[in-house]
Amino acid sequence: MTQLIQTLISGLSLGSIYALIALGYTMVYGIAKLLNFAHGDVIMIGAYAVIVVVFSANLPALVAVFVSVLVCALLGVTIEFLAYKPLRGAPPLSVLITAIGVSYFLQNAALLIFGSEQKAFPAIINLPTLKIGAIEIDGITLATLATTAVIMLSLTLFINKTRMGKAMRAVSEDTGAAELMGISVNRTITLTFAIGSALAAAASIFYGAAYVYIKPTTGAMPGIKAFTAAVFGGIGSIPGAMLGGIILGLIEQMSKTYISTLWADAIVFGVLVLVLVVKPTGLLGKRISEKV
Amino acid sequence: MKKSTKFASVLMAGTMLIGCFAGCGKSPADTTPTPAGSAGGSSADTQLLLGGIGPLTGDYANYGTSVRNGAKQAVEEINAAGGVNGFEFVLDFQDSQGDPDSAVSAYGKLMDSGMDVSLGGTFSGENQSVVAAAKEDGILLLTPSASAKASIEGNDCAFRVCFNDPAQGTASADYIADNGLATKVAVFYGSDNDYCVGLYETFAAECAVKGIEVVEVQSFTDGTNTDFSTQINTIRDSGAELVFLPIYAAEASTFLTQAAGKLDVPYFGCDGLDGILTKVSDTALVEGVMMLTPFAADDPSELVQAFVGSYTTAHGAVPDQFAADGYDAVYAVKSALEKTGITPETKDDTFNAQMVAAMTEISVSGVTGTMTWTADGETSKAATAMIIKDGVSVVYTGK
Repeated sequence: MTQLIQTLISGLSLGSIYALIALGYTMVYGIAKLLNFAHGDVIMIGAYAVIVVVFSANLPALVAVFVSVLVCALLGVTIEFLAYKPLRGAPPLSVLITAIGVSYFLQNAALLIFGSEQKAFPAIINLPTLKIGAIEIDGITLATLATTAVIMLSLTLFINKTRMGKAMRAVSEDTGAAELMGISVNRTITLTFAIGSALAAAASIFYGAAYVYIKPTTGAMPGIKAFTAAVFGGIGSIPGAMLGGIILGLIEQMSKTYISTLWADAIVFGVLVLVLVVKPTGLLGKRISEKV
Repeated sequence: MKKSTKFASVLMAGTMLIGCFAGCGKSPADTTPTPAGSAGGSSADTQLLLGGIGPLTGDYANYGTSVRNGAKQAVEEINAAGGVNGFEFVLDFQDSQGDPDSAVSAYGKLMDSGMDVSLGGTFSGENQSVVAAAKEDGILLLTPSASAKASIEGNDCAFRVCFNDPAQGTASADYIADNGLATKVAVFYGSDNDYCVGLYETFAAECAVKGIEVVEVQSFTDGTNTDFSTQINTIRDSGAELVFLPIYAAEASTFLTQAAGKLDVPYFGCDGLDGILTKVSDTALVEGVMMLTPFAADDPSELVQAFVGSYTTAHGAVPDQFAADGYDAVYAVKSALEKTGITPETKDDTFNAQMVAAMTEISVSGVTGTMTWTADGETSKAATAMIIKDGVSVVYTGK
């Protein structure tokens, strides 16, 4: 029983990180119809930003978090401006290849600047371990869960209640019509990239705090898993990304504990294939029939 | 919308496929030649060109760089002392980024520049492909650090300086049993890595012989090497008295960081753990970790201290196992060359054959121990257990 609860908790924690990253994928896809494969590497850059601020500039953790969010948001907007904006209207495949190129560029730039040796992430979240009976919950896990919940709630409110959120939904539903209604599509897309990348910074902080060591390739695997989570939940759907992330984290940790660490990834992707076969739009994806 | 979702699904499948490939092998990379030392061919007759291959850039750059620096150190020392039989040693070390295919092209490039002796590849995978490519050339191939059993097989001219993996696994189990360190052990290893698997298999086999019970075996892969929490919990619940870690320092530091406060048992590893002190975020995490290695930088012997001293001055870091292997490899070549008695004047087509024949006759006292070689390319030397105490690794002297 203890083992089960412990596994569920670590699954939730991992799942929340996936969910934070998946939100970036899903928002950008929903609005710009673009799979931003460089998103995972934005996380890596966010983590390095924290390392530089804390270790090289000797500034407090709170400043590091702020800088990291800022760096990621700016990076996201810059990537959009330099790499994706010139391709607006180009076939999806060209944009996709560009995204992969940006991903490789970021990885290799980090390799050049920070070297291949892993760097330790500073212990910026110092919370005591919570003990309930035989169950131990790390302070970091608690912080991850709490912050993710808050972020998701505010994001949902933002999308549904504010004017900018309304604009985002409008652009997502029909770009042409939105533009005719006076919504600046470019500004909306830029904002989407900024928010998505800022969420990546949040993910990078929890990822770094939980797993400590950062390498230039750190963002690749979480990026792919989070993309899976986004597709799993229904790409383009924000609640879907959250649900997909959490479920993916739970499946991964459960299979590691009860089946085999070797099979964990195969099971995760296997479940994805099953879901897509049964429900091609993902768990919460909307099926909109194309009008001719 | 529907169309684009379909597009996303197809893409997903593609990504997964790419993910699988990424998991199986190291990512392919181009060769970026970065010759070290004085590059170029051995046009002058008095030059003896040693060719090394290893990752100098990319994710595994630290290993190749160590080997190169160690070898460079030995080459400089030998030349400063007047060379060997009238030969001046020249080292050309090519970058492979750890990729076996790039290693083969690097080998071809070195052969074109007139390489006389090959130092093989740094990693087992690299070396294995180089050994196969070198078969027809008959050139003496002495790898400093490729430890997988198969990595020198199929070529009678291939030798290695380090232990092979099975030898390390067996020696570790023997060491744990003979020193009464534990009777119940857990193993944590990378199931997609030849080095880890080789060590694990021979370790488990020897444990059965020595009466050590392997109570838990947990693993990870290249794609799942960040979150070890479930493995750590399982090992904790298994009641193991010691955890055997036949893995590399990068993963080991992640494991030890996440296990801190959860697992309170001794850890035992092999030469893969070398360099862990510089990788871990806090040296308190690795306190008490033991490793079986033929090279110990704090070994008081004169030879080791001289090497450590000059290496530290030249490269600003204490040499690790890989540097020591590179250093010894060059001295083994020197020893073999002395044995043959070949001079620039008498060097002819039989050079390769004579050098290979000399390898099994020489005995080299290097920084990794006193080595002799068998015809199948393996070396025999003693392994020392090191333990990390107060942030430095020292020779383990019993409980």
